[in-house]
Amino acid sequence: MRRLFAYVRRYRARYALGGVCLVLTASLAMSVPLLLKYAIDAIAADQGLDRVGLIAAAIIAIALVQGVVRTFSRSLVFNVGRDIETDLRNDLFAHLERLGQRFYQSQRTGDLMSRVINDVTAVRMMLGPGILNLVNTPLYYVYGVGIMLSLDVRLTLVALLPYPVILWIVKRFSRRIMEHTLRVQEGLAQMSSRVQENLTGLHVVRAYAAEEEQAAAFGALNRTFCEHSLDLARVRGQLVPVMRTASGLGTLVVLWYGGTRVIAGVLSVGDLVAFLAYLNLLAWPTMALGWMISVLQRGRAAMHRLEHVLDTRPDIVDADGADPLPVVAGHVEFDRVEFRFPHAGNERPVLCDVSFTIEPGEKLALVGRTGSGKSTIAALLTRLFDVSGGAIRLDGRDIRTLPLAQLRGAVGVVPQDPFLFSTTLEENIRFAAHDSTEAEVQEAAAAAGIARDIESFPDGYRTQVGERGIMLSGGQKQRTTLARAILADPKVLVLDDSLSSVDARTEREILTSLERVLHGRTSIVITHRISTIQDADRIAVVDDGRIVEIGDHHSLLARNGIYTELFRQQRLEEELAAL
Amino acid sequence: MKATTVIAHDRAAVAPRTQDQVGAYDARLVRRLWRYVQPYRFEFALGCACLPLTSAFVLAQPYILKLAIDRYVAASDTTGLAWTALAYTIAVAGEFLFLYLQYLLTMRVAQKSLADLREDVFRHVQTLDSAYFDRHPVGSLVTRMTTDIDVINEMFAAGGMTILMDIVTLLGIVAIMVAIDFELAVVSLALLPVMVVAINFFRIKARGSYRLIRERLARLNGFLQEAISGMAVTQLFAQEPAQFERFRRLNDAHNQANHKSNFYEAALFSFVETMSAISVALIVWYGGYQILGAALALGTLVAFIEYVHKLFIPIRDFSSKYAVMQSAMTAAERVFGLLDTKPSIESGKARSRSVAERELRASGEIEFENVWFAYRNDEFVLRDVSFRVAPGETVAIVGATGSGKTTLIKLLNRFHDVARGRVRVDGVDVREWDLHALRRRIGLVSQDVFLFTGTIRENISLFRAIPDDAVRAAARAVNADRFIERLPHGYDEALRERANNLSVGQRQLLSFARALAYDPGILVLDEATSSVDAETDAWIQDGLGKLVRDRTSLVIAHRLSTIENADRIVVLQRGVVRESGSHAALIDAGGLYARLHAMQRQAGRVPGGGAKDESNAASANV
Repeated sequence: MRRLFAYVRRYRARYALGGVCLVLTASLAMSVPLLLKYAIDAIAADQGLDRVGLIAAAIIAIALVQGVVRTFSRSLVFNVGRDIETDLRNDLFAHLERLGQRFYQSQRTGDLMSRVINDVTAVRMMLGPGILNLVNTPLYYVYGVGIMLSLDVRLTLVALLPYPVILWIVKRFSRRIMEHTLRVQEGLAQMSSRVQENLTGLHVVRAYAAEEEQAAAFGALNRTFCEHSLDLARVRGQLVPVMRTASGLGTLVVLWYGGTRVIAGVLSVGDLVAFLAYLNLLAWPTMALGWMISVLQRGRAAMHRLEHVLDTRPDIVDADGADPLPVVAGHVEFDRVEFRFPHAGNERPVLCDVSFTIEPGEKLALVGRTGSGKSTIAALLTRLFDVSGGAIRLDGRDIRTLPLAQLRGAVGVVPQDPFLFSTTLEENIRFAAHDSTEAEVQEAAAAAGIARDIESFPDGYRTQVGERGIMLSGGQKQRTTLARAILADPKVLVLDDSLSSVDARTEREILTSLERVLHGRTSIVITHRISTIQDADRIAVVDDGRIVEIGDHHSLLARNGIYTELFRQQRLEEELAAL
Repeated sequence: MKATTVIAHDRAAVAPRTQDQVGAYDARLVRRLWRYVQPYRFEFALGCACLPLTSAFVLAQPYILKLAIDRYVAASDTTGLAWTALAYTIAVAGEFLFLYLQYLLTMRVAQKSLADLREDVFRHVQTLDSAYFDRHPVGSLVTRMTTDIDVINEMFAAGGMTILMDIVTLLGIVAIMVAIDFELAVVSLALLPVMVVAINFFRIKARGSYRLIRERLARLNGFLQEAISGMAVTQLFAQEPAQFERFRRLNDAHNQANHKSNFYEAALFSFVETMSAISVALIVWYGGYQILGAALALGTLVAFIEYVHKLFIPIRDFSSKYAVMQSAMTAAERVFGLLDTKPSIESGKARSRSVAERELRASGEIEFENVWFAYRNDEFVLRDVSFRVAPGETVAIVGATGSGKTTLIKLLNRFHDVARGRVRVDGVDVREWDLHALRRRIGLVSQDVFLFTGTIRENISLFRAIPDDAVRAAARAVNADRFIERLPHGYDEALRERANNLSVGQRQLLSFARALAYDPGILVLDEATSSVDAETDAWIQDGLGKLVRDRTSLVIAHRLSTIENADRIVVLQRGVVRESGSHAALIDAGGLYARLHAMQRQAGRVPGGGAKDESNAASANV
């Protein structure tokens, strides 16, 4: 919570001003029933129309001033809440950008979204409307009770008798409402993930004619959700009637006991009307109390969750005094690298004793079976993870001692899973090189073999690719991400099986046209298609986290090992394609 | 070319109506919603009946106050006063009792009918074809079923019903005021036209700013979602500052829009309070004048003040309720739009669902007859394909990626329909089969194995009620039991999201077990290309053999061993059947297959041809 106070402190001047305005508003609002009393008493006592007219004019004047001040105070306090919300969201986003893949592997996107959207909103509700009511409620009570006491002490005490009961009810109900709300939200989340999974695996559901079973499972969740929602509605629906009836008891007392006191001549009719008006004015803040308690509870819980994220220390950061290399030549060295995934249950390392060097401008190919650890090598080179043992060096310097920005600027990776942002093709290609010219974009697209596709679209480079590039085919997406990496102009280019969705012939064509781009760059090509990398300077075979064979195509074939086996296995595919 | 057509198609398909084009009340949408409410119409009617009762109790309260002051206090009648006080309390209690009943009944109707709607949408989405999913991200469909339907619920909870009640109450108040004292009523309501004009002004202003907020929030959320899932890309390209700048701009824009709406809301709230106070002043001034002229009783004046208070609050809340209605209609439009999407594949009738289970398990027959198919326009991926798989036979389809192998499966299973020609199962055109029965007849093992969140057992049974013995037997038959029994919880081991805790090979064995437990008369198998370690591969080969035994099988083969073990081989090249026949016949014919086989033999160890580790089943690999 200390973090929260820092935000509040930043806006303390506006909060103070808002507070002053709230006090002013309350003072004005609370004076109206009193004026009403004087007016009615004046009428009842036959004091003449002048006095009544004067009081009416006063009420109108107060109403006008109050209108202006109230508009100002409400928007002031609410806006501060919004400003803090915006600040908090910015800080949260900036922090998320610093957290590494280790963090993202343990989190679901939906949960993080919920932090940044829902939890921040809950904090804002606490700081805006929450604070407004926190100031208003006691203020109204002090004024209301004070004035009522000045009118008639005994009637006040009797009229306020039900209020402790109301407070107790509010507290009880708000806890129950909170519990029920959480259950309903949980139910909604469960339904969402069920639907999400069902739709992702729909081809299986359909092929196995399991629609009924899926619908039944969803139906069960749906019914539970419906029941929980009704439970919530029941509790929520009870709160207002129970409280209003309790405060209605106050009115009963005022009307009956107050009325007899008017008859007895102790009170005036004006006093009675004023009493009723004040009770009415107190009813709302009292009800708001319950709402406020839950807003504060929710806000605090949300802030705790946010702090959990904000307190997560980024694990991949610039080392102290990390100074950049003056020039990057592109010499890559893996020195007895070992790596274990932080969250995986099994103790077996993903990579073990991996050592190799690549000279500047050289091309190394990595091949191996699915799950052998090839992609991990790419992830380690860009410090998406840090090695568990050994070291990776760029131009002789441990990459952990380089500024992250330099390392990632120097090493360009085209990942296996092509990720595109839902903007235009041009903006996607330009992602890492904002100031590149149109010609450069087109050049990169041509090198990646996507230029012709793009030019055939009606909107060309301005084509919107849709969410995650849904408008493009898998191969088009991959080639677009390749163009993006080329335009970033890295010294070391890593292709992580990044042309798997195009056919073998097209992949070979693209790799051939890439030769010009690769000239003078160090490159690592990870692939499952051996045929496309036969000409690489060196080929390393990764198996079970180790480099088991290394050499050029012919020397590896001669060894008759895993490489040969993979090669043969793929010949069939290749030859079928060539038929 | 590909993407061009997709984009054009999408624009035509999703012509979105903006919020402003949908009114707060759309008769067509309400009629459709009514169909879901109808089963609960009794409760709905009861809820509606509560509305005028609540209003009556609200209206009675100021009048009782008037009676108390004018009749009993003025006459010093304490007993009468006590009774009126009691009556007042009963009026308050009555108001809230019926308000509660109305809320509860409405929520019951809303929750139940919307649960029905949600289930309908879920069932409907199951029938939509894959082209639909290519154009609509899964996330947006999830939103239809959860958030959108929740927004419609808000209409019941805080929109439509309460607006109705407000209108009844408003009319009641005006009627009573006019009945008590016409002149004072005119004075009390003098500001009403100003209010209506001003509130309309605020409504229009607020609507603009609400829309702005919604748009900007949607963009902020969209950006955030993408930024989080693409965080690795941002970090890899060291683009954190640029992304942050984009986020900050969207965040600021959203904040600005909120500042604007905060002002309108605060102004509206204050305006109504001020108007109500001025009305009270007018009543006091004019009423006082009348009372002094003895034309009016004091209690009437008090009652009028109360009535004016009760009159202005619903007017103030109208704009927010209107906004709720509007969002609900937009959401309903989207949900019904989804329900209106017709699946292009509809179930046939000739072979009905009532076909006996036993019959479905009997060995079946597949026949492709002059089949043509194109995903787009005239780009045919299958041309005049004909072949037959006799009962109990295993046919291997051989061909390169993109030769149309996977399409064959999709046509057989009716994930798509043929353009020309026909596909028959047991001699009946698949378009005439009941879809459910057809898919019950055919078991499919696809290349990438999709696992659901749930236990191993549930993933084998696919949540069907299959006896435990059968599940275990299926797993044992395909050699999946070895790894399953080594898991900490065996068959009850829970699979995590996307089942990262299983290896590729284990997942394949699991999918074999799933197919065997399904026990279909026809098996269609898309052999996986991914390579696994030798031991697992041996188990997979063995399991595969058991799977196809005594079953009509169509196998898209990637391994020579699978091909050689098939009864017949169909060689597919760019959508055309080039050769078909048994291994021996094709070798003799000396065509494509023979050439291919010869090359494979040359390339290295010959399957079964005396390689050094012949005993290892991995040698069956090409």
